[in-house]
Formats: sequence, structure tokens, C-alpha cells
Amino acid sequence: MRKGLMVTLVIVMLGALLAGCGGSNEGSQGSEGKDGKVQLTFWGDWGGEGQKQFETMVDAFNQSQDKIEVKYVLQQDMITKFLTAATSGGSPDVLFWDRWRTSLYAPKNVLRPIDEYMTRDGINAGDFYEESLKELTYNEQLYGLPLTVDARALFYNKKMFAEAGLEAPTNWDELEKAATALTKWNGNKLEVAGFSMADPGLFSMYLQQAGGQMLGEDGKTGFNSEQGKQVLKFWQRLLNDNKVYKVGFEEGLGEGNDAFVTGKVAMLYTGPWMMSTYNKYGKDLEYGIVPPPSGPKGDQGSVMGGFGLVIPQGSKHPEEAWEFIKWWTANKDNAMLWAKTSLNMPGFKPALEDDFFVADPLWKPFTETLEFAKTRPTHPGYSVMEENALIPSLELLQQNKQGIEGTLKKAQEQGDKLLADNAVVK
Amino acid sequence: MASINKLERHQARMGYLFITPTMLLFAVFMVIPVVMALYLSFTNYDVLSTNDWVGLENYRRLIGDTLLWQTFVNVLFYAVVFVPFNILISLLLAMLLNKSKGGVKLFRTFYYLPTLTSAVAAATVWIWMLHPEYGLINGMLSYVGIAGPAWVSQTETAMISIILMTLWQSVGSNMIIYLAGLQGVPDYLYESARLDGASRFACFRYITWPQLRPTTFLVSILAIIGALQLFDQAFVLTQGGPANVTKTPVYLIYQQGFNQLQMGYASAQAFVLAMAILIFSLISMKLTKAEEPIV
Repeated sequence: MRKGLMVTLVIVMLGALLAGCGGSNEGSQGSEGKDGKVQLTFWGDWGGEGQKQFETMVDAFNQSQDKIEVKYVLQQDMITKFLTAATSGGSPDVLFWDRWRTSLYAPKNVLRPIDEYMTRDGINAGDFYEESLKELTYNEQLYGLPLTVDARALFYNKKMFAEAGLEAPTNWDELEKAATALTKWNGNKLEVAGFSMADPGLFSMYLQQAGGQMLGEDGKTGFNSEQGKQVLKFWQRLLNDNKVYKVGFEEGLGEGNDAFVTGKVAMLYTGPWMMSTYNKYGKDLEYGIVPPPSGPKGDQGSVMGGFGLVIPQGSKHPEEAWEFIKWWTANKDNAMLWAKTSLNMPGFKPALEDDFFVADPLWKPFTETLEFAKTRPTHPGYSVMEENALIPSLELLQQNKQGIEGTLKKAQEQGDKLLADNAVVK
Repeated sequence: MASINKLERHQARMGYLFITPTMLLFAVFMVIPVVMALYLSFTNYDVLSTNDWVGLENYRRLIGDTLLWQTFVNVLFYAVVFVPFNILISLLLAMLLNKSKGGVKLFRTFYYLPTLTSAVAAATVWIWMLHPEYGLINGMLSYVGIAGPAWVSQTETAMISIILMTLWQSVGSNMIIYLAGLQGVPDYLYESARLDGASRFACFRYITWPQLRPTTFLVSILAIIGALQLFDQAFVLTQGGPANVTKTPVYLIYQQGFNQLQMGYASAQAFVLAMAILIFSLISMKLTKAEEPIV
């Protein structure tokens, strides 16, 4: 009896505790403000400088009209927060969205399709890169608009190229020659790497340049192909025959000691996000940028990434949220304000045709690269496949512990399994 | 009789009342989540849309999950190297600093300091020290004519780098536990041993070591559990690479649950990890029980 009583007591108290947990999320939900304005909550995970940039845009929007008031809320662990918010209320109205996540989240019905708004307001899909929209699409429904676009291009050290009498490479052969010429060894010690090969994750980019595909039409891996072999042969030539790089060379150098800044790497693939670091630390660094060199058959390739803005299903004011998204992403003046504030490339094409981008020799190569850059395949298991199957296998090849055939075969077998295991649950 | 019963009843009631807050917190934050996780491991829970019973489906998938088993092999290798070294170094340090000489307290503090640094900050410094061309460690090796490896980037040395760093970080706190253990060893045992003419080594072998058995048990259990739950050091130092040799079960569980939203399957993986921890703890308990300390 006594025990029974205690158990009941414990259960009752527990219930009270749990109920307390559940109800606490309501407060953040936007609603009618005092002055009749609709209050919107905008979540993002950019703090510091990024937060200031977002707030500049939010303020500009709030001043541009008198019906909607947006508030930026910084969520360090945004995705995890969103998981709870989407199921228990307190969902934001606008979400800053890493586009590739769409293929995982859209099937779960937590994002709101915007197709009807697009048609109603006559937004031209042609004003955005087709690839960036593809990444925000699931089952032929569009779930948001691209806020930024980026792609990797080839950065090269102008001084080193001038000293060696070289021109920026335009194809694989020229890249190999330049890298070989610029590499300096001192006995066992690598002093200058001609070309950075630190990131085997860039395989997909090389594969595009060789004319290959990461995923086939059947939703399985497609890199175990002739083109895949060409890429790995190219890597082996660079790493083993010409020794233009040493595995681990750039590990842990940090921003101030960045190998490109300090002249220890002559060329590398990276994106516009690194330019501020190079400008800040590289006082003596003179660099140029060219679109990625083309492969053996002249194919060009780079991987397009970037962010978008989406409306969660839980938003109580989707109309107003759409107004905000449209104002920011589909208007040239506002997209330019965003570009100049944040030094990001806006997703809106007319803005990228502005002189700010086209007349600047550092931005122009990126706008050129975006013309042919492709986004990652929209499969919810794609990133796990790359991270857990493909890259580990490529690392073995880079360290000379596995041949070309074995590398691709192993990556394919494990990759196909991961893709199947992480496919959309029907 | 009746009054005694009444008193007992009163005491029992009070007893339950006093432990209620603790038990309540324990239930809310430990028991219920564990039971929930066990339940979820039989579902296809994805946080957002599905939560259906799938029976043993997740466990069937576990069998073919080569990557999960590889992560277990990784942490097993880690544990096999880390646990003995951890005991050896922290015991040696503790015996060295168990003297009452001037400056000993200073050294105790120094050895304990790494424990207080955050794993992420420490890892950043270690990556720099382990750099193949400019790192301190390879710099010293080059003086004696050895060309050091690319520590964190090579498959052979990546896990060793993590072991080096975690040892550096954890021997301090284990040293404190051993110090406490050493101070608890009664002096009369040493005194009588010395009278019998026992050597220093014999004193250690037949008095210190057996007396410290409960301490060693605690230290090794904590180390084993820590090894199986290895995550942040490995994540910062190598991001699980190269070639998956430093990926750990916790990393995989997090990825499956929070990045891929397969919470059900992640729970099944977590349950396997919990079982592994339980089994190793039981083994360790058996081994230590074999010889009770002499008093």
C-alpha cells in the first residue's frame, strides 16, 4: 500500500514536471503587435559579423513598409532547435536554410511550398540559377528562394606565377605543369606545395570536369566509371609522380598562418568566403582567381552551394513571411544591399550582373564559374555517402594504400548501401 | 510492538520523502529517457513525421552496418592502448607527488591543469604541435634524424595522436584519484614490511598495488566508459578521418540521429553502445573482485 502511494505521488509529480516542460515554448510565436503590425521571427545560425549583416537587412525591411515587423533571432544550434520547434510549436516564420537540407526535410512536411506565391506575384524563376532552385525543390514543389550562391574557383599566387613565367592554368595539363614547376622540396621537407590537395571532398568537382556523374539516374553512385578513374589517375600523377603536395601539409595552420597567405601553397580551390581572410592576413599576398581548369575533354565543373530562405509549416504568418523573403531575395536593390553588406554573392541573377561583380576581377571568375557549376545531387543520403564512404576510400588512395580500381569499387559498394539506408522513407 | 511498527512506518515515510527529489530527478533525466530510447529503437522515429513500430528492423540493419562495427574496433583499439597507459602514468605521477616536499603542490597543480582546459582549445594546440612540417614534435624528431609522420592525417598515427592528447588531458585527474588512494594506505603496513626487510619494489607489489585495487578499478572503469564514449577530441583533431580510422560510435549515432533524422535507428545503435559499456564494466568488476585488498 505504502509503496503504491509513493509511486502514485511520484507519477503525479512527474506529470506536473513534464507538463511544465511542454508548455514553455509558446511565448516566441509571432503575433499581432501593439501597433497592429505582424511580428515575424526569423531564425538563423550566423552570429558575430553575420548577425550584424542580417540585422542590417531586417532593419531595412522593417523601414520599407509599415505592416510587418521582423526580428532576427540567433540560434546557435538552429537545426536541433528547429526539430523541437517544428513538433511542439514555437516555430519561426522564416528560416535561414542550408539548401542541401531540403531533400531531407521537405519529405517530412515541415516546410511550406511557395509555388502558389511565385505564380501569384509573378516571380520569374529564370532570375535564379536553375541549379540553386533544384536544390530547394522536392517532388516538383519549390520550398524557398536562394539567398546566396557560391562555388569554388582556382586561387593562385600572382607573384609566384610571375617569377616562374607562368600563366594561370585553364586545363588539367596546364594545372599539372604549373603545380610541378612551383613545388619546392628541401630533402624530405615540403617547402612550397604547387597545388593544394588537402580536401578529397572536392572529388565531385574534378568528376564534373572529367564529364562524370556522382549519382546515376537510378539513385545509385555513378563515380565508379571511366571518368572517375581519370580523376584518380590525375590525382596520382600530382601526388606521386610530381609530388606537388604532401598529405596533412595544411592541417591546423589556422587563419593567420594559412598556407596560401604565407606562400606555402601556390594554388588552391576555394570560394569567395576566403577572400576576407586573405585580404586581412595577406598583406604581401597578391592573388588572382580563375574559373576551375577544364578536364581532358574540355568539360568544366564546380560545385554550387549556398543558402536560402524557407517558411516552416508551423509559421502562423506565411503570407508576411513570403513578403519578407521576396523583398530580400527577388529584388535587385535589396539583393545588392545584401551583397555589399555581407560580401556574399546573392542568389538573384540580375544583381550578379551589376558592375560590382562583373567589373571586379576577383568577382568575375566566380560569376563565370556559376554559369556551369552544379549543385550536389538531391538525395537525403548524399552527404553521408560522401563523408562515410567516398572520402575515406579516397584518403586511402591519397596515402598510397589503395589502388584506383579498389578505391572506386569500395566507395561504390559502401556508398550504394548508405544511399539506400538513408533514402526517403515512403 | 504496535508503537515500534508505527515508528518504523514514520521513519520509512520520511525516508521516502527525503529521497524523492533525487529519485525524481533521476527518473526524469535518466530512467525515462533510457526507457524511451529503448522503445524508440523499435520504431522508425524521425522527430518530425513518423513514429511507427518496426519491430526488429533496426537491429537487423545493425548487423550489416560495417561502419558501426568499425567504429567499435576503433574505440577498442583506443581503449586497449589508452587504459593501461592511463593507469601507469597517473599512478607513477601520484607516487612521485605523494611526498611532502616543498614545491610538490605546485607540480600537482601543473599536472592537473590540462584537465581544466577545454578539449576543443587543447586539440587546436595539439594539431599545431603535430603538424608534419612545422610542428614541435616532428621538429624534435628531426634533430635525431627521424622524419616524423603527418600525425593526424595518416591512418597509422591518427588514433595514436588522439591517445596522446587524451592521455595528456586525463592523467591529471586520475593522478588526484590515485593520490587520495595512496594517502589511504595505512602506514603500519609499510612499517612492518620494512621491519621484515622488504624491498621497495616488494612494498609496491604486495602493499601499494593491492591496497589501490578499488582505486584502480574506479580509474579503469571511468577510462573504459570514456573510451567507448570518445567524441570531442576525435572530432576536433581528425573529424573522424583519415579513412574512418578515428570515427567513434558516438559520432556515428549523432550523425544518424540528428543529421539524418533516423532517431529510431540511432537509438538502436546507442543501445548497442550501452550494452558494450555494461559488458566491459562487468568484466572489469569481475577482474577486480578476484583479489580483495588485504587490510
